[in-house]
Amino acid sequence: MLRLLATIRKEWLLLLRDRTGLTLLFAMPVVLITVMAMIEDAPFRDYQELRFDILTVDNDHGRLGKYIREGLEYSEQFQVIDSVKGLPVTEQQARDLVNEGEYKICIIIPPGATGAIVSNANKIVNDISKRMGMPGVLPVGSRKDSLNVTVYFDPASKKAFKSAIHQALDNFLTQVETDLLLERIKQQLKRKDVQETDSMVIQLKAVGLKEQLTGPSQEIDVISNSVQHNVPAWSIFAMFFIVIPIAGNMIREREDGSLLRMKLIPGSYLAILTGKMLFFVAVCVAQFYLMMQVGIYLLPLLGLPKLMLGQSLLAAFIVAVGIGLASTSYGILVGTVFKTPNQALNFGAISIVILSAIGGIWIPLEIMPSHMQFIGHLSPLSWGLDAINDIYLRNAGTGHIWGHVGKLVLFAVVLLCTAAVIEKRRLS
Amino acid sequence: MTSILVQDLHKTYKGALEPSLKGLSFSFPKGAIVGLLGPNGAGKTTTISILCGLIKADTGEVQIFDLPQNATNREAIKGLIGIVPQQIALFPHLTAVENLEYFGNLYGLKGKSLRSRIDEYLQVFGLEKNGHKQVHHFSGGMKRRTNIIAAILHQPQLLVLDEPTAGVDVQSRSMILQFLRDYNQQGVSIVYTSHLLDEAQTICQEVAIIDEGRAVVQGDTTELIARHPECRNLEDVFLHYTGHALRD
Repeated sequence: MLRLLATIRKEWLLLLRDRTGLTLLFAMPVVLITVMAMIEDAPFRDYQELRFDILTVDNDHGRLGKYIREGLEYSEQFQVIDSVKGLPVTEQQARDLVNEGEYKICIIIPPGATGAIVSNANKIVNDISKRMGMPGVLPVGSRKDSLNVTVYFDPASKKAFKSAIHQALDNFLTQVETDLLLERIKQQLKRKDVQETDSMVIQLKAVGLKEQLTGPSQEIDVISNSVQHNVPAWSIFAMFFIVIPIAGNMIREREDGSLLRMKLIPGSYLAILTGKMLFFVAVCVAQFYLMMQVGIYLLPLLGLPKLMLGQSLLAAFIVAVGIGLASTSYGILVGTVFKTPNQALNFGAISIVILSAIGGIWIPLEIMPSHMQFIGHLSPLSWGLDAINDIYLRNAGTGHIWGHVGKLVLFAVVLLCTAAVIEKRRLS
Repeated sequence: MTSILVQDLHKTYKGALEPSLKGLSFSFPKGAIVGLLGPNGAGKTTTISILCGLIKADTGEVQIFDLPQNATNREAIKGLIGIVPQQIALFPHLTAVENLEYFGNLYGLKGKSLRSRIDEYLQVFGLEKNGHKQVHHFSGGMKRRTNIIAAILHQPQLLVLDEPTAGVDVQSRSMILQFLRDYNQQGVSIVYTSHLLDEAQTICQEVAIIDEGRAVVQGDTTELIARHPECRNLEDVFLHYTGHALRD
């Protein structure tokens, strides 16, 4: 125990005197998390949360235009723009503005669109009336070809964005057509019996949609946003960067002979190594909680959402320790394999960037191709992130994280055994 | 009784073309200051590593104070030996006291007894005013002296020094050599390796010269010089046995 405690004290003193190292371990990750959370804030926001200016050219001047305008503005996602510099926008002008990227979307409502919808509704009502033995008296137009509301997108728009807009506009058109049809039906029935239809209410939606939480508690409603993804993700990335100081520390001890001195002293070197590991795991856990404080207190000051921690603080602590063990073991292996600090620095840094990229730190694994998702699940960073997401987003408790933590601990054990074999071979 | 007994030691490192030790044999009496001398690549470092149980010999026998160097005795032998490596095996950003406390703790020493031992040795080596300075601020001589203290904190019976005066000034060298004489007077056996043969001649009662993995001669320092009338000093004896060819 004395060896272990002495080693922890020694590492503590060395870290305290290494101001640059301390800055790299604690200040740089704070900057990294803040920058990444801000940069990725917009892409992470659902399109429903963003407000877009939509150029609208209403050549119809009828009910359809009014419905679309009201519908778009009601959703609070769009702001309808129908004039530029005080003049009504023309179709050509709108197309040019979208093409130049000034606006993301332009909607052209063709002349006669409302008339066509009304005529179609009248035709349907007339047909139903005739089948019911009533006269079909509503006026029907002679137009045979269908009209289209034309939508122009900024050429740089993403497919998902276009799809979302298409769906929204399609909903508005359907809504207009349905409303007009119901209105005509009521009008027709009114002609037959005034008393009965005056109080008639037609409710189309018998079954609706209701969103419910899946977690054990209904109290916390957490959505995946830039902060919920970036704070845990880049915290894990920063924790794995402890590989650099550990590997450097081990190589220096080997180069300056202090490792030799430690091995010449009777007693288990394992106790010294355990002391070193415990210290660096504690540093990792401290890093983790510092980053969480950034997510809770600093990022909201910058206009970002507050980080929600889920309900099991114990589970989060266990995961942080698991990640610390995995990253520290990786550092010990790198420090054992490589002979110079430069080699270890380059390999350590690049390998962590690769493991983080495939492990869903940069972008969530869910949006990667399936083969990359498979590879990504082999990264210890993804095990840590999955565990944190389970706790923070799904309100998982200690009972649900053992699979991920087990993988992290197993990873640590395998790496330490490999380092031991390599060190033994080196001595022989 | 011998402090060190080495018999027919063989060692070839994995992947090496040549063996490092080819039947090395020598013995040193208990309580003496002896020199283990040899040109570069003679096998001194390999021998010391085997003596202290850091690596295993392929074949041959090693005894430290009559204890065979094997898995059973390895830890006990480590406790009997103090090694002063050629490198400054200290943490540069810890103070001398912090370094010595750390290595003392690893030896199982703690509390007031450790602190008083550290103070005593700092005084002996003239470092009492610099104990709380970080080692990287020390001169070469101060580092060497602290390096020695770290090896004797546990009061070993056998002290092995690998070029303990390399790169130090005359004053520090004089102090170190005087300390070794005084320490030896307390009954501690000392094995000393160095390329400074005038120094070895001054301090070593007995020497073993090894070359190409074998002991080429061993004996009382004064007698060895006297045995060869053409040799004026230990350096001449050394060159007589190892030749003038460069060992790069």
